[in-house]
Amino acid sequence: MRYETVIGLEVHVELATKSKIFCSCSAHSYGAEPNTHVCPACSGMPGMLPVVNKRVVDYGMKAGLMLNCDINRITTFDKKSYYYPDLPAAYQTTQWFAPVAVNGLVEIETSKGKKGVRIKQIHMEEDAGKLVHDIREDTTHVDFNRTSVPLIEIVSQPDLSSAEEVEAYLERLKNLLRFARVAECEMAHGTMRCDVNLSVRPEGSDKLGVRTEMKNMNSVEAIKRAIEYETARHIDALENHTEILVQETRRWDDIKGKSYAMRSKETAGDYRYFPDPNVMPVQIDDEWFESIKSSLPEFPEVKQKKYEEALGLSSYDAEQITRSIALCECFEAAYAVTGNAKDAANWMISEVMSILNARQMTYDQLTLDGRALGELIKLVSDGTVGRANGKKILAAMFDDTAISPKIYAETNGMIVSNDTGLIEKTVKAAIAEAPKAVEDYKNGKEKALMAIYGKCMKELRGNCDPQVLKTILIDMINQM
Amino acid sequence: MTREILRRLELLNQLSLTEEEKESVMAFFDAREADAACLESIDTSEVERMVHVMPIMTVVREDVVSQPYSREELQRSAPETDEGYWCVPRVVE
Repeated sequence: MRYETVIGLEVHVELATKSKIFCSCSAHSYGAEPNTHVCPACSGMPGMLPVVNKRVVDYGMKAGLMLNCDINRITTFDKKSYYYPDLPAAYQTTQWFAPVAVNGLVEIETSKGKKGVRIKQIHMEEDAGKLVHDIREDTTHVDFNRTSVPLIEIVSQPDLSSAEEVEAYLERLKNLLRFARVAECEMAHGTMRCDVNLSVRPEGSDKLGVRTEMKNMNSVEAIKRAIEYETARHIDALENHTEILVQETRRWDDIKGKSYAMRSKETAGDYRYFPDPNVMPVQIDDEWFESIKSSLPEFPEVKQKKYEEALGLSSYDAEQITRSIALCECFEAAYAVTGNAKDAANWMISEVMSILNARQMTYDQLTLDGRALGELIKLVSDGTVGRANGKKILAAMFDDTAISPKIYAETNGMIVSNDTGLIEKTVKAAIAEAPKAVEDYKNGKEKALMAIYGKCMKELRGNCDPQVLKTILIDMINQM
Repeated sequence: MTREILRRLELLNQLSLTEEEKESVMAFFDAREADAACLESIDTSEVERMVHVMPIMTVVREDVVSQPYSREELQRSAPETDEGYWCVPRVVE
């Protein structure tokens, strides 16, 4: 019998706000001392009342609109009960009855073509704290720095059917949420985490099989491996009766490549959701809704099409740049200055993205002023600055975004010299020092010329029109 | 209310009830269920869902960071702390 895998994802995304969801403690405590970003509200002291951070609702709405959801104009918070020391109030404030966004659709593309994945809902909620078990044997240590950091949970319908589709879906979510600048979505940093709900059924059947959930997966590769393992385990259980499948939560051990039962799955009733009497409903009026709607960026594929059709970029170049809104904005500003889209795209892809990669920065961390990049590109293309020095100036612009490329080139002696006398003098000295290379060149070894050329360029600190230098060099050798 | 449901609720709430308490709780729940059944008999199909008992909406705050409390102040009433952490009975084996 042939089987198909049915997968639904619950993706938790940490929102890029400055403060927590219900109090004004900083939401960024990575590397901080334990419990230094904590107050009576987020440490669950009795009597403390939550106050909703407006930006969390802004970002919840933005995420919903980017994922083609309907926005609930009255959205409410609910209490989800569970007892564990990482949750000091013994309940999580989340959304159950009226989440901020519902009924969305995300389009993904895989080797099998395009497919729509339905979004059931997006709800806003608070993160839990962190437990440390290895400081002392007799106790668990609790750190509430992460408690109440704002999250959205994006719940898909069970529309995915393979590891490839899951990867494409996660990439699409990242791209859209980063475009709207609501989240970093970096699995390695824990700002995107994923629960995988999986079941298997005979191909063509419309009845769902027994579902297991793997929680807190934090890398796409691990998710893919876990899906393949779980699919095989489910099919083996159905075909060979090796075990009885039960609805449960499982832990994925990526090192051993196996999943293990953690606990029987809770049902919604077990959490005893009820409306949080401490947080009144949030009403999103027309003005608020329209201000968020009008602040959304163009979708990446709309930009990509525009870059290809209106600016004449290749599909590859357009795709590279639309990987991040920061790259798009930088490119568009540089293009506005240079008027040459291809040139601006080349600099973005071969230079700007290389520096970001080398410095292990995400594309969204780009703060380079696109107009200044445009000025630099112009200086290089009109021959005022050599390409090698252009790259050096770009690196300096990454370190200090206030740098003007022209002033930097002037103050650092990087302006190309038109002084042919100086070039001739340099070439003459270089030729005198390299009689063998000269002879090799005369004997037909073209490469020998480049050795002398390189020496001259170094001597002139790159401040020379490459074509002028080459012409003078060849002329002088030919005259010998 | 059945014994099975009560056993599950005990587990979820981390409670251990005596036989006497169990009888009392079951009688209480049976009475509340009867109340709910009474409410359910009313036709509410035309009534808009109420999102909150109070006819007021929340106020929101701007996304501004402040840190008015020190860790020492917050942990003053804690039974046990260590290296800046709150300490609780060990939750994993």
